[in-house]
Amino acid sequence: MLTNLFTSTTIPVLEEVAKFSQLRHTTLAGNIANLDTPGYKFRDLSVDDFQSRLQEAIETRRQPANPYRAGRYAPHGEPAHAMAADEPHTILYHDKSNVELEQQVSEMVKNHMQHNLALTVMNQQFRLLSTAISGRL
Amino acid sequence: MFPALDISTSGLAAQRIRMNAQSSNIANISTTHNERGEPEAYQPRFVVFQTDESVGAHGAAGVRVASVEIADVEPIWRYEPHHPDAVKEGPHAGYVAYPNVNMMTEFTDALEAARAYEANLGVIDITKDMQNQTLRILA
Repeated sequence: MLTNLFTSTTIPVLEEVAKFSQLRHTTLAGNIANLDTPGYKFRDLSVDDFQSRLQEAIETRRQPANPYRAGRYAPHGEPAHAMAADEPHTILYHDKSNVELEQQVSEMVKNHMQHNLALTVMNQQFRLLSTAISGRL
Repeated sequence: MFPALDISTSGLAAQRIRMNAQSSNIANISTTHNERGEPEAYQPRFVVFQTDESVGAHGAAGVRVASVEIADVEPIWRYEPHHPDAVKEGPHAGYVAYPNVNMMTEFTDALEAARAYEANLGVIDITKDMQNQTLRILA
């Protein structure tokens, strides 16, 4: 009953987006902390991969023969956020590090906005639900 | 979510230690005595950074100072025969060994450390905002 209540909304999708962007934020924070570490290669999570897997999961859920269950957004194998990004193309500095501050910061800001977007929409959904439950405006 | 804060904090701590080494180098730019009071030119210190997997999680890593190394560079010899630390005999007789600290390098390095420190602070701000937003779901 409660599962149906939440799965009729986009809350599970938003939850995955928030989870992914929190993990990615941690990874990007590690890159900035290691700005001056010789030999450090920057790490990232693949946004494209996450989004395509999320898309795939949403499609699966829509098929009536394949009912969606809570917490099952990545249909097969590992969760979407476990995938690493492809080999990045940046300048390799003479200390064998390739972290570029500007790029990392802009990725971080984008990720931050995506995270807050997901949470704002999630808040709205919860508010809608509680309005529906209380039965009055 | 909390590993992000720990990671940024490890960056702050590492940059601060680096800044300490540079302050030490600049403060001792004219030091001709060692700790034991013997005539010996101060050798510049430098820090070595290393990724610290124990701080982060999910593949993200923090940073730590692996070691503080002491450079082994030839001192700058100045002819000051009346200086108490002047070499008495040998090829450098009458010369005083002054530390070979390059002020330009030290200042550039200090500036870089300060900027990296600020970058980590910026990340902490973003992390705090994300945590606030998450907690607001409860309200």
